[in-house]
Amino acid sequence: MHLQEKDPAEEVNRLQCCINDLISLLALPAIWSGNEPRQIVHILLDALLRVLRLEFAYARLKDPVTTAPMEVLRVADTCKLTVPLHDFGGMLTSWLEHEGNSSLRAARNRFEEEDISIFPVPLGIQGEIGMVVVGSERADFPSQTESLLLSVAANQASIGLREAELLIEQKRIANELDRRVTERTAELAAANEELKRSEERWRSVFENSAVGVALTDLNGRFIATNPFYQKMLGYTEQELQSLTFLDITHQDDLDHNLLLIAELLAGERQQFQIEKQYRRKDGTSVWVWNNVSIVPGTERVPRFLMALSEDITLRKLSEEALAKARSELTRVARITSLGVLTASIAHEVNQPLSGIITNASTCLRMLSADPPNVDGALETVRRTIRDGNRASDVITRLRALYSKKEPSPECMDLNEATREVTALSSSELQRSGVILRYEFDDDLPAVIGDRVQLQQVILNLLRNAADAMSTIDVRPRELVIRTEHDEENQVRLSVKDTGVGLTPQAAEKIFEAFYTTKTDGMGIGLSISRSIVEAHQGRIWARPNDGPGATFSFAMPCAPEGIADTQSGIHQTDPAKDAA
Amino acid sequence: MESHQGGSVPTRPLLSVVDDDESVRESLPGLLGEFGFAAQVFSSAEEFLSSGCVGETSCLILDIAMPAMSGPELHQELKRRGQEIPTIFITGHRDETIRVRMLKQGVAAFLLKPFSDADLLAAIKTALQAA
Repeated sequence: MHLQEKDPAEEVNRLQCCINDLISLLALPAIWSGNEPRQIVHILLDALLRVLRLEFAYARLKDPVTTAPMEVLRVADTCKLTVPLHDFGGMLTSWLEHEGNSSLRAARNRFEEEDISIFPVPLGIQGEIGMVVVGSERADFPSQTESLLLSVAANQASIGLREAELLIEQKRIANELDRRVTERTAELAAANEELKRSEERWRSVFENSAVGVALTDLNGRFIATNPFYQKMLGYTEQELQSLTFLDITHQDDLDHNLLLIAELLAGERQQFQIEKQYRRKDGTSVWVWNNVSIVPGTERVPRFLMALSEDITLRKLSEEALAKARSELTRVARITSLGVLTASIAHEVNQPLSGIITNASTCLRMLSADPPNVDGALETVRRTIRDGNRASDVITRLRALYSKKEPSPECMDLNEATREVTALSSSELQRSGVILRYEFDDDLPAVIGDRVQLQQVILNLLRNAADAMSTIDVRPRELVIRTEHDEENQVRLSVKDTGVGLTPQAAEKIFEAFYTTKTDGMGIGLSISRSIVEAHQGRIWARPNDGPGATFSFAMPCAPEGIADTQSGIHQTDPAKDAA
Repeated sequence: MESHQGGSVPTRPLLSVVDDDESVRESLPGLLGEFGFAAQVFSSAEEFLSSGCVGETSCLILDIAMPAMSGPELHQELKRRGQEIPTIFITGHRDETIRVRMLKQGVAAFLLKPFSDADLLAAIKTALQAA
């Protein structure tokens, strides 16, 4: 570095200019801020050219983004060099590879007629960013101040280029981020779309299902119901959401339903079916067949109950109608004469028939023995005849009961006949909890009548009375049989009960055939009883009691005086016979 | 027709017949005697229970439908008392449900009146073998 001898005024001037130039250079960053590297270099070289009155300024560096080599050349207007850019680089090779900061003077006759001072300016501390090479006409280029200006400019440029690099990197990252966000958003949108489609599909199933679907929480409160279910019950969705299924289930089915739910919640079963009745909003009933299951929970939704509800009202009604028709048919079949007759005969005849067969079998064995047991066999034969007669009696009695033939009358005492009947049925009555009381008239006149038939009537009345009391628990089941010689000179027998009683209308119709107030009654007994009593010139009637229950009575004429004494001989030992 | 008083040792198996029907009570002992059994007849379940023959009876021939205590009820009562006897039910009624129930409860046989002597004998043999 040459120390120039100048006078102080010139020195001051020179320094002043230098400072001005420095200030311009220091303003460069403000100019090139935000620019790309190439622009920065352009601005730098232009500034250098102008400030230092250079012939040319050349820069070579790597593009920080593409890492491709970049060359920029600025030539002064007054420069007479005509070398094109791409040759310039080759021309300055030795300076471009130079490290360090020492200046070199170029060979002067390189460039046509001009001698140019060439000076390299590294960018970056080690020149890693690039290299600037400047050329000046002046032989003493660069001076102290010019060196200073060059290094300050180079420094600024280095910083600027670094910043530009960072800016580019930032932009790149921002773009990458944007790209990823866009990608992600598109993915989410697609997933959302798919979810919506799926939701719509299931929603449609729920809404349009041909069975009722009801979702409830574990307490049975409705969470959601489909239109079919709502319509089936006549409630809106909101109304249902304030109810539990227990509120709308028929009380007859409630216990069973609760039991099944409990088992379901306890894990003892996966699902259950129940046939039950719901009560609609308007109070009417609907029969349903429900399939109920627990739907397991997810991380967002706790588990809940799902019921698939099929309306089976129509089926149930027709089932009920069918059952009713069937039971009617059975009832009618039972009460037809043939049915009753067959049952009676079968049972009553079976006994002596069984005896006959047994006795005959015994006889056979006895006669087949060696030696034959003739006495034993004879006894069996006698028994057989007895049984045969018994069977015959049964037929006769049955015929009498079911035919319109004249009864076989005898002179008889109703008290005695009654006692015989109650003897047979007392145990049955006792088992039914019936207390029997007798209010017999001890001086009851005799009547003329068919014993068996009248006993049938009495039996019928007793059975009816017992049936009428069969559902009574709140008071004693008392049956009073009363006989009296009434004010119309008739023998009257009454059976009074404490049963369910009789309406006046029923009292009229009750003696008609097939009329019955009982669900399994035969409805024949009283009409036959009436036929029997009327065939005895009597009458039969029923009255509700003043208290609970009813009284059934029949009355018939007394046996005429005189006949009674003669007829009664049949039942007492006949002295004439004994003597014989 | 044999009958045993309480206290004497039976030499042949004792069959007790409980039926409210006279024909049955009259005819069965003869046949049972021909089979080689001793027989006793009772007209009601109560009569049988209070007879003192319960312990000695090897087989019970029992009518189903009887006033007061029925055949099935007697069967139950004996079971309850721990005095079960091999039982043959005889009845004039055809009632499948009783039949199935009774057979389930360990009744040896179920005969419908009128029954043949062969059927009766077979039933008795079955009952006595099961004992």
